[in-house]
Amino acid sequence: MKDKMTPLERAKAYNQGKEIDRLPCVPIVGNTAARVIGAKVCELRGNGQLLAKAHVAAYRLFGYDNIRIFTDLYTLAEAMGAKLTVPADETAYLQTPALKDESEIDSLVPVNPHKDSSLPQFLEATKCTLDAVGSEVPVTGALTCPFTTASFLMGTEKLARMTLQKPEAVHKLCEVSLQSALNYAKAIIDEGAAPSLTDPMSSGTVISRKHFQIFSYPYLKKLIDYIHSRGKSVTLHICGRTSHIWDLMADAGADCISIDNEASLTEAKEKVGSRVRLMGNVRPSEVMLDGTVDDVKKAVEQCISQAADSPKGLVVASGCSLPTETPFANIHAMMDAVRAKGGI
Amino acid sequence: MSNTENDFHQKLSDAVVNMEDAAAASLSQEVVASGFDAYEAIDKGLAKGMERAGVLFEEEEYFIPELLMCSDAMYAGLDVLKPHIKTDEQAQKYKIVLGVIEGDTHDIGKNLVKIMLESSGFEVVDLGRDIPPAKFVEKAVEIGADIIGLSTLMTTTMDGMRAVVDILKEKNIKEKFKVIIGGGPISPAFAKKIGADGYSGNAAGAVRLARDLCGVVQ
Repeated sequence: MKDKMTPLERAKAYNQGKEIDRLPCVPIVGNTAARVIGAKVCELRGNGQLLAKAHVAAYRLFGYDNIRIFTDLYTLAEAMGAKLTVPADETAYLQTPALKDESEIDSLVPVNPHKDSSLPQFLEATKCTLDAVGSEVPVTGALTCPFTTASFLMGTEKLARMTLQKPEAVHKLCEVSLQSALNYAKAIIDEGAAPSLTDPMSSGTVISRKHFQIFSYPYLKKLIDYIHSRGKSVTLHICGRTSHIWDLMADAGADCISIDNEASLTEAKEKVGSRVRLMGNVRPSEVMLDGTVDDVKKAVEQCISQAADSPKGLVVASGCSLPTETPFANIHAMMDAVRAKGGI
Repeated sequence: MSNTENDFHQKLSDAVVNMEDAAAASLSQEVVASGFDAYEAIDKGLAKGMERAGVLFEEEEYFIPELLMCSDAMYAGLDVLKPHIKTDEQAQKYKIVLGVIEGDTHDIGKNLVKIMLESSGFEVVDLGRDIPPAKFVEKAVEIGADIIGLSTLMTTTMDGMRAVVDILKEKNIKEKFKVIIGGGPISPAFAKKIGADGYSGNAAGAVRLARDLCGVVQ
């Protein structure tokens, strides 16, 4: 099936309440992009041109509505001193946090995105992608939010204990992480793209609503205020259980909230559908990775029946980044199921 | 009035739930000084407390930071009690390879199971956490284990448990080992589905299961 509109045309029409050929759809492709060009996952990290090539090729193959330049969650933390393990053909993960203990917090310096670690290559990838397909599809750069970056700088368990024992030290970490995020957001926007926010450690599976209000919200709000001041809208993804913080995600200024399969689109529509666009939430592992084409179709239809009538709209998406080995057939099936439903 | 054994169990459990590591340690010292059984204090006190903390987590009263602090209190008590556990002398030492499946770094449950298995006379080889499925099989073959014990707290890593059973079947050595599994998202139905030999929802149950499977007379 062919689309009649480009993603940018579709987004514009959808925002203006005009007719669209189909709902926007974003199977959140991460390192699956490497598979599209037959590259190893580790090759994309630190090679802006190849990273762009992979994401442009993946977009052209599937025709989804948003390109997100992403390799892993740790790019900001790495640029601030965290050490990663970078397997040859799997997603990188945190090896050693930047800090041994909280006495070192004052030594942290906010990132310079044009110099530090792999950030310049991400900006290069953003630029190359915009050059190639920026006239037809929104291009975003994945940006990890302050509380999550703080967690990677200190170590997740240590930071979790500190939220109860040493809240002031957590705030210091969030503040310097915010400065890094602002610097990187500026650089992404200067290139002509928009940041796409992700804050997994702020999940209700990890911290309470009270701790979200104390440690996540103030920094998210400042980050989103800045992005808005540059004329860009904001999609905020938080994994796991989030129903108890949807109102706060909207209060922080998110224009679209991307929710995990642990949360319900129906409930989200009722609670915050009049304030924010919803994005979600086909199961990335059970359905997209392990399911059949028919499973994918059914899951997409369920999302659409639950929330296509949500007042601020719906972006059909996976609940989280797709696992690298997600079969192409299932990604095509997701797009086709949305196409088959038309503009609703 | 002095504490009965039951009082100690309740107080230890409360100390864990209330995240009081100093109290858990001093209560454990009192348990030992009063001559009460260390194994029972772990099972009915500390482990019970972690179980209650787990329920509070399910109910969204507690979150990860609170659970970590509860486990700190549990470990503070364990450090005191562990050297005082009376070890059962079995004629034959059964061997168990134990670990947390790849992709998961939560090992509270596994550590409890280990301590209680050891105190019941099993020889436990602890592989640690975030362990690839093939490694379990490799180690089990190497030491001639009787049981492979797998733990996970995350749904995303449950497939790794299936992989262990599948590898054993591929190598035609499934009959040589009993596979037992446990952890938050695991159920008896899941154990059956992947062809594991048993499931337990808690540490003491894992010991009973291991004994049953090895034919140890209780």
